[in-house]
Amino acid sequence: MIPADAVRFAWRSIASQRLRSFLTLAGIAVGIAAVILLTSIGEGIHRFVLAEFSQFGTNVIGISPGRTGTRGGTPPGLPTSVRPLTLDDARALERVPGVIGVVPTAWGNAEAQARGRLRRTIVYGVSAEALEVFNMRIAVGQFLPGEGADEARSFVVLGPKLKHEIFGAENALGERLRIGGQSFRVIGVLVPKGQFLGIDLDDTAFVPTARVMELFNRDGLTEINLAYAGGVSAKAVAAAAEGLLKSRHGRADFTVTTQEEMLSTLSNILDILTMAVAALGSISLLVGTVGIVTIMTIAVTERTHEIGLMIALGSRRQTILWLFLGEAVVLAVLGSLLGVAIGFGSAQLIRVVVPALPVVTPILYVVLAVASSAVIGLAAGVLPARGAARLDPVEALRSE
Amino acid sequence: MRAPDLVAFAVGASRGSPLRTALLMLAMAIGVAAVVTLTALGDGARRFVVREFSSIGSNLVIVLPGRTETGGINPGSFISSTPRDLTIDDARAVLRAPSVLRVAPLTVGTSELSVGGRLREGIVVGSTAEFIEVRQFKMAQGQFLPREDWSRGSPVMVIGAKLRTDLFPNQAALGQFVRVGDRRFRVIGVLATTGSGLGMNTDELAVVPVSIAQAMFNTNTLFRILVEARNRDAIAAAKRQAADIVKARHDGEEDVTVITQDALLATFDRLIGTLTLGVAGIAAISLAVAGILVMNVMLVSVAQRRSEIGLLKALGASSATIRSAFLVEAALLSAAGAMLGYALGLAGAAVIRALYPTFPAYPPDWAVLAGLGTALVTGILFGVLPARSAARLDPVIALARR
Repeated sequence: MIPADAVRFAWRSIASQRLRSFLTLAGIAVGIAAVILLTSIGEGIHRFVLAEFSQFGTNVIGISPGRTGTRGGTPPGLPTSVRPLTLDDARALERVPGVIGVVPTAWGNAEAQARGRLRRTIVYGVSAEALEVFNMRIAVGQFLPGEGADEARSFVVLGPKLKHEIFGAENALGERLRIGGQSFRVIGVLVPKGQFLGIDLDDTAFVPTARVMELFNRDGLTEINLAYAGGVSAKAVAAAAEGLLKSRHGRADFTVTTQEEMLSTLSNILDILTMAVAALGSISLLVGTVGIVTIMTIAVTERTHEIGLMIALGSRRQTILWLFLGEAVVLAVLGSLLGVAIGFGSAQLIRVVVPALPVVTPILYVVLAVASSAVIGLAAGVLPARGAARLDPVEALRSE
Repeated sequence: MRAPDLVAFAVGASRGSPLRTALLMLAMAIGVAAVVTLTALGDGARRFVVREFSSIGSNLVIVLPGRTETGGINPGSFISSTPRDLTIDDARAVLRAPSVLRVAPLTVGTSELSVGGRLREGIVVGSTAEFIEVRQFKMAQGQFLPREDWSRGSPVMVIGAKLRTDLFPNQAALGQFVRVGDRRFRVIGVLATTGSGLGMNTDELAVVPVSIAQAMFNTNTLFRILVEARNRDAIAAAKRQAADIVKARHDGEEDVTVITQDALLATFDRLIGTLTLGVAGIAAISLAVAGILVMNVMLVSVAQRRSEIGLLKALGASSATIRSAFLVEAALLSAAGAMLGYALGLAGAAVIRALYPTFPAYPPDWAVLAGLGTALVTGILFGVLPARSAARLDPVIALARR
């Protein structure tokens, strides 16, 4: 039989039983649609989280005090008897080649007070470079001026939420704000950044690092953030920074994490999540496969007579086998195409209805789904097709 | 037709094509087994967390420094330092609250412990004699920190089981000295192994008196105050009283967050519950696919049994009888598949339990009921169309076909 004939044969046997073929298709389609939809959501969340993280700037290296070992380490912010990171360390890091900005960071939780209004907020101690390093933008006024850490004046830049809670819609520039026991002058308000992992990034106050350390009575920084020029290798900068600090401290009692490393770890975790969700969706695909097996088995029994006739007329058993296999594959692939359409369509629908949930259909999984459905068709077809090919023509013809 | 006859008819019909029946049951079984196993996994995770939480003590109220306006617990509230310290005196004052039974102040930091030439980085916890009662640890050797003035601790240390084997591989630990930073501590006790305890592996802790830990880390503030309420009913009161006392001591400024163990547990419980429900829902999609298959196969069988149906009708069977005969067949097939799936699911859960003995993976009752119920309902629902088409057959045409 020539291939074109084989295709026509398979197509006609599918088309002759419209309802039955459609239901079989539907079984596979639901499975594929589930996989496509779930991986679309997974991939969307993946991109969303990565975008959330890179909003702080991608060319950033973080250095925190204390050596976190392979045992998972301790939560950040714990006091440690290990030698603290100091403002001098941060200043020394500016000399590392490739580094374009150093932000010595320290933070704490304090009460901000002005015009008789009180609000607890997170107070960050940063330097002037933080504006570029953390990708922040100023809405009104200016950011902290670049002055030496030791003579930094008591200026504060407000997050929009904090500004709104304390000053309402009125002008805040030039006003005095008491944080803890100290008085700060408001010189700027930031553009809203929204939430990040449950922390409201807008309910914040930025003041010079030295003032924060004074306020919270700390002698060490919580973290030092380095920004390096684009095109420079993160590894090289990290190694240079590590070497410099090692020579200052005498040993490696600090931890260096590059944003790149963190993002790739995160990306791996999210990939695994997407895969797990795809696996969950595949359960339906498995059930759909059983559906194809069942229907093909039924088809073979129903068409015993026809098969017997073909064999009697000289068809080779090989041909019979491939005809039925082909039919199963066509069913599965058609089903998967329908499933991809449904999955993609509902993903787009989600995108329209719930704009907050990012949905991106990963091409890889679409290709995988269609390819695996072809394999499924083959696998599901083997048993019934072999049954058909093995029929004894005499028995088969007599079966009516 | 009487009910037993209907069932016998359906069983006879399914026996007629055993392979087809087996495949149909398999499809249903896969769906139900997936639901049962996955919810067992989810519920196991929930029970695991609950057990971990209760292992950190009972009737606990936790006071931590810092507070955010948005309320609730967020990552920010775990890493805060505040301008006003949460002091040992604050902890002592909380003890005066009527609903409070015990109080353990807590300072945590990382440091390097050394014995002889051996050096190891570890978590040092500063606390008091009450810590062991609040956290319900057991001693393996020696004794816990002595009862003494909270602000004047003696240089003694209690170490976790893992730390003991690391620092003193083959010698007695009691009475030995451990150097931490520039201080020396005498080991007076070893904690019994407890395994993990929510992020902080208790086997690797070194516990020293709180005042010494504060001096060592050069801080005046506590990391946490663990407050044990007198009993379960007193938890809410203890929470309120602790918050009030600390607020009064801090010039009326409410700069601490007070959370109860129960509230924390409830949050986790809800989170994992939602997750389990979602996973079960995804697995249940496969039940819909199985339902489509039931419909398909029933339609085929209606087509194949045309003459049989025609005969039945000609002999006086009403349309209703035919309909219920096919519905009963669909229901029986789904029920049998669902039971098979339940058995498979239980086996899957048992395998998980055998692989991870600490993980109590039992399917929750609601999931079992929902799984079986959904399977049955889908089967019947998808059986309606074929059953109706069978009932509508015209006996004359059906019989005249051949």
